[in-house]
Amino acid sequence: MKKAKIRTYMLNLTPLLGLAVLFVAFLAFGTMRDINISYGLKSIMNQSVVVAVVATGAIFIYTLGSFDISLGASAAVSALIGAMVYNRTESISAMAAACIGIAVFIGLLNSVLASVFNLPVFVTTIAMLSVLNALVLVLIKVNGTGSEIAVPAAAVRAINNMPFKIIVLLCFFLLCVFLFSFTKIGRMQKFQGGNPVCAKLSGISEKKMAIIAFALSGIGVGLGAFLSIIYAPTLTRNTASSVGMDVIIAIVFGGMPVSGGARSKIYAAVIGAFSMTLLGQIMVMFNLNSGIGQMVKAVIFLLVVFLATSGQRGKMLPR
Amino acid sequence: MEKTGWLKKIAGIAGIPLAAFFITTILCGVQGVKLFETEGNWILFFRAAASVMLTTFALSLNLNSGRFDFSIGSVALLSSVISASVCTAAGLPTPVMLLLSILSGALLGLVSGMVYVIVKLPPIIVSLGVALFYEGFAFSITKGYGVSFVANLELTSFPGVVNYLLVIVCGLLLFVFLFDYTKFGYDYKALLSGQKVAVNTGIGEIPNAVGCYTIAGALMGAVGFISATNTGTIQMALNFGSIGTMFTAFLPMFIGGFIGRFCNEKIGYLLGAVTTAFISLMYARLNVDASIQQIVTALILVGFLIYLNNENKIIELVMLKKYLKKRQI
Repeated sequence: MKKAKIRTYMLNLTPLLGLAVLFVAFLAFGTMRDINISYGLKSIMNQSVVVAVVATGAIFIYTLGSFDISLGASAAVSALIGAMVYNRTESISAMAAACIGIAVFIGLLNSVLASVFNLPVFVTTIAMLSVLNALVLVLIKVNGTGSEIAVPAAAVRAINNMPFKIIVLLCFFLLCVFLFSFTKIGRMQKFQGGNPVCAKLSGISEKKMAIIAFALSGIGVGLGAFLSIIYAPTLTRNTASSVGMDVIIAIVFGGMPVSGGARSKIYAAVIGAFSMTLLGQIMVMFNLNSGIGQMVKAVIFLLVVFLATSGQRGKMLPR
Repeated sequence: MEKTGWLKKIAGIAGIPLAAFFITTILCGVQGVKLFETEGNWILFFRAAASVMLTTFALSLNLNSGRFDFSIGSVALLSSVISASVCTAAGLPTPVMLLLSILSGALLGLVSGMVYVIVKLPPIIVSLGVALFYEGFAFSITKGYGVSFVANLELTSFPGVVNYLLVIVCGLLLFVFLFDYTKFGYDYKALLSGQKVAVNTGIGEIPNAVGCYTIAGALMGAVGFISATNTGTIQMALNFGSIGTMFTAFLPMFIGGFIGRFCNEKIGYLLGAVTTAFISLMYARLNVDASIQQIVTALILVGFLIYLNNENKIIELVMLKKYLKKRQI
């Protein structure tokens, strides 16, 4: 009994151990190859923070056993509109508010559409992905130079630093931890994801839960969009293009069960985001071409998820 | 009564594709363009129908069983890279490239299925890992440059109405045969309707799942071949750049599911693909901007799903209106 408990505990720790191993490997290989470690860490932070913020918000959607594939495109549209707002108002606060407002609006639109018309949320997000991708092209064409919308680099220089980004991530993470672990919202979300029938019979509104989850996720997407502008103030059609899939990978890599429910972990997003970026940086150190790097990443991804879930497999094939 | 039943059936089967044909023809007519004017228009139409039909088969095969597969686009990419590379290097003819594409697609699907049944992770996770791996593999073997055989007149001679029609007919017949007339198909349907009960009655879930992945892979091999021989080039995709292929199949899959109430579901998928082929041809004929295409297609998808998921409410509303009108008279 005790052995089983320890085993479960260790399995739960696998993603965290994975992150620690990757960090040590990064330091060791970096020292061996005489690489500027502090520059490397700064680069890891810059790359991870956007995915970590977006993924932390998305945990609420995943906890419901749901799935949003349009997060990256939503971040791109929010960032573009945020940049346009800055160019009109020259106010950083207005830009941040626009980013968050638009992302929350998109999230709400997804969930309300699904709730009102009884659509599967995933399908709504697929349609939204197409619409948002198209909107990115239209916005750049109409409001930019044809290929980009730029915010003057000088305008964001003052906040383009590590402490600011860490504070944004930390504040949002703590808010999510509080909501997820210490309020009724988090408990109801986990209940809804784990057993929708019982949750419904207990009076929990599935639609209300979906709307709250998508709104919280929208805040994360908006903050991610804001941080994207700060890091790279020239926005193109490729801005945040990989964020959507990176978020899915990060969440799963961090130990979050795809089915959601009681085993959901709010910290999975942050662990996963940093692990994936560290892994990417280690690949770069070894001068692996992008293809081989991606193959190694795929194998490690499957291996870590396999190890982290080894206590949860049933007799039948999972669906 | 029987006549009404048949009429309803025919309307259910042909209604959506015919409506798509008339609407696209009218929209083109308004702009002073004919929907089908040149041979190229016919080729585009049949290519879209063939490619989308096969992708829809591949997607629905696993999705209907609750297995979401992000990797089908990467299978199409890698299988076409393998077959094109071998055929251009050895100077092999087009039929061999098609065969190689299908075989390599089947092999890649088999590997994907084996990974799924061995690691027993949720299929969505496995497909993410597999998609990343196959994209990376395709990138590595072409050193990121992709494959180009534009100058190879033999391999680029495939696009043609007859060839695409052959692909459609053979694909449909094989799919219907496999899933409606074999033990594999019966097992598939049993697992579809009740996984636990089917397994308890002795149906081999693992071979069936691996078989599904292998068949989906073979279908995507053919899709990769169609795409590669159309342009004579294969461009690389990393970081899930290949998953766009999967999205082309959602609208025809839902349309096919609706038409499937009136006939065989596979014929429904074909008619769903034909419907989207009309729309694609209209976009091409009217030079519709890519971004507008994406928005319109997404709106059609959402609109159709809203109808499907609220059909009873809509019918009730119409009936209520009719009733109230009658009472007024």
